Amino acid sequence: MRKKRIFFLLLLLFSLVGCKAETKKSMEEKEKDTVIVTMPVSSEPEAGLNPVYGWGAGEHTHEPLIQSTLFVTTNDLQIDYDLATDYSVSEDGMIWTVSIREDAFFTDGEKVTAEDVAFTYNTCKQNSSVNDFTMLHHAEAIDKETVVFYMTRPFSVWPYTMALVGIVPEHAYTSSYGENPIGSGKYILKQWDKGQQMILEANANYYGNVPAIKNVIVLFMEEEISLAAAQAGQVDVSYTSATYADISVPNYALYSVVSLDNRGINLPAQPKQEKDGILYGNDVTSDIAVRRAINLALNRESILSNILNGYASPAYSICDNTPWYQDAQVPYDLEQAKELLDNAGWTLGKDGIRSKNGVRAAFSILYPPSDSIRQGIAEEFSNNMKEIGLEVTPECVGWDTAYDLAQSQPLVWGWGAHTPMELYNIYHSQNGENARYSPYHNKAVDKYMEEALKSTDLENSYSLWKKAQWDGVTGIIQDVPWVWICNVEHLYFVKQGLTIPEQKIHPHGHGWSLLNNVDTWTWQ
Amino acid sequence: MAIKGELILIKYILKSGIRMILLILAISIAAFFLMTISPIDPLQTNVGQTALGIMSQEQIEQLQMYWGTNENVVERYLTWIKDFISGDMGTSLLYHQPVHDVIVQRLFNSMGILLCAWLLSGIFGVILGMLAGANEGSIVDTSIKGIAILFSSTPVFWFALIVLLLFSVWLKWFPIGFSVPIGVMAENVSLLDKIHHGVLPTFVLSIAGMPNIILHTREKMSSVLKSDYILFARALGKTKKQILWQHGLRNVLLPAITLQFASISEIFSGSILAEQVFSYPGLGQIAVTAGLGGDMPLLLAVVVICACFVCGGNFLADIIYHIIDPRIQVKGKQL
Repeated sequence: MRKKRIFFLLLLLFSLVGCKAETKKSMEEKEKDTVIVTMPVSSEPEAGLNPVYGWGAGEHTHEPLIQSTLFVTTNDLQIDYDLATDYSVSEDGMIWTVSIREDAFFTDGEKVTAEDVAFTYNTCKQNSSVNDFTMLHHAEAIDKETVVFYMTRPFSVWPYTMALVGIVPEHAYTSSYGENPIGSGKYILKQWDKGQQMILEANANYYGNVPAIKNVIVLFMEEEISLAAAQAGQVDVSYTSATYADISVPNYALYSVVSLDNRGINLPAQPKQEKDGILYGNDVTSDIAVRRAINLALNRESILSNILNGYASPAYSICDNTPWYQDAQVPYDLEQAKELLDNAGWTLGKDGIRSKNGVRAAFSILYPPSDSIRQGIAEEFSNNMKEIGLEVTPECVGWDTAYDLAQSQPLVWGWGAHTPMELYNIYHSQNGENARYSPYHNKAVDKYMEEALKSTDLENSYSLWKKAQWDGVTGIIQDVPWVWICNVEHLYFVKQGLTIPEQKIHPHGHGWSLLNNVDTWTWQ
Repeated sequence: MAIKGELILIKYILKSGIRMILLILAISIAAFFLMTISPIDPLQTNVGQTALGIMSQEQIEQLQMYWGTNENVVERYLTWIKDFISGDMGTSLLYHQPVHDVIVQRLFNSMGILLCAWLLSGIFGVILGMLAGANEGSIVDTSIKGIAILFSSTPVFWFALIVLLLFSVWLKWFPIGFSVPIGVMAENVSLLDKIHHGVLPTFVLSIAGMPNIILHTREKMSSVLKSDYILFARALGKTKKQILWQHGLRNVLLPAITLQFASISEIFSGSILAEQVFSYPGLGQIAVTAGLGGDMPLLLAVVVICACFVCGGNFLADIIYHIIDPRIQVKGKQL
């Protein structure tokens, strides 16, 4: 953090002097069909642009650009066709039949066939690295244009997986595919200088609209250097964060994108008990009144303006703005929160901290190291809770112990995936006991989510996911096993003259998803 | 006599060679166990929380197997060392490629910069150190000494950022980073381009390595100049230039060489930081990726290679002493 502060001061200094230097026209006029974009170093896929090793999937999902996918997600995360032209699901949800278009060709001239699709999925299943294929038994091409997926369990959100997996050519797949990928997508990888840049060129034979932007150059650099690159005028789009967003860079405008990149806190929803040496549950947060009071006492607006300079929006669920989101907004209401606690028997002590039957209303809030945003959220959370008489102590823990500790203490998490499976894994119980990351179990919620996965119709499954959150009687919204703080906005410095059309809601993390629609960017 | 001397030298080389191998082995063990107790969770780091959050438990178990988080530590090390000795560095867990392939290219990238920086810091370090030592107390001495002390207390990372801001952002003389120009196809990248991109990292690294050598050389020089034989030389009427050249340099050279070879390790560690700042795709960059990502085979290979360079450097220094200064003789166990 200190490092950043020093750098910040230096930048201010240099940007003052830099204004003068800017008048010298140092950069030659660039061609109007090229963009240069910076990305975090971690966005460089180590194993290359290979869907088998998770290109396009995983922590930060995005369109694979080089390859095309059977389906795509729309800007508001509905499902649409790409390579697929039609699909059907068997009654029991165990067999998916997908027909594919006939006019798609790989960049080496070969036609994209159902065999390639089957090969891709079967290879993915064998090597899966960051993408889950355990629900797939195997894929089979029954003719040139039809592929059938045999499942191991019903999985209604399968189209969301199919929207991530780029189709690779069976005839040209080798161990070095990631470095020299051949696909049927919008772009072709022309060159990859490892550890530095990737140069993409538009695919002139693309079956869809041929990209307006012909050359995309992606540079991998640290956040500070990315900013310096913008100040030097060497890039067109430079990723940044709330820390640097208020610096004005001449000839660049700040561009922010709505994301699902949320921060939330788990509230263990059962009393403390030990199992296999690990503590599960928390005697304070196990009280539903405490959890609801916490949700009401969270001053989300002030947290995000203090910690994220306002570059975020308040979050009320793990999946705000998705088709499976059930409105979960709560007001900021200290009085109601206090009343809830009073009625539940949590009485104020002399030191301003409540207690009930000898249990002091005190617990820790954990945050991972080297994440100043989450640390800030933990501090603010602690301050908010003091107002209603809860003593919350911020505590830093490494990820090697965080998972176990979070079973009994709240932790500041970050989520945001383009699939309802996140909702499932956070709230659905495992083996009828508790959910994976924090103790919580509601049979009705479980049942809705199981039904949602078995559903053979996406629309119907959305409504079931919503019912799991609130069906009018019970649900996650009422149980509050997690509280959600904010959705972080993704920020970029964009050079004047470059227009970026509306983006698909970004998932967790900075990276390639900015380029989802790079083919439609325009220069003036 | 000569043959006997050579035999002893060969014996010495063999002996210290074995010692070196043992040392490198110990380093690999240390690195391995440090990695296993590091608080980094490879799944959390490489797969990511969000990706884990949408996976089935079954899939997570598969990944734990892949990253070896549930395996016996000693067994893992033994498997690794057995393969390593037989020439198989293993497959990088992150890159899904043989470690050898991943490293060779980076090593090649780094070597140019490291070698230049190492030579430059050595040559200029000795020259400036001698200049300061020969003029002890003068304005030349105090300014050289001051600058050396200033730079030896400057963190490389910070200095690199300043250099980047000054020369790339403000003056725009040099590129913002990388080893090749932005958006240019490999066949159009000239040697000049590469040199242009290497200048700043080399400059930063050589400046970072210099203060140590300057200060030690200066100290040695000034003590040599105070010795009796210099007094005698002066009495003989030799000029200052003659004295510096004939007596000063020769006496200063030995510690300078020791320092020069010892500084290999500093240059290596400095390069890790400098490469981060200049987005330079070298060994340092890959060490950071492997370390933070829990990629055991890759990190161990990087560690062993660096250790080989450092130990090899020291070893070479020992041999060079023998050649430069005939007074140093290998006699049995001495030396």
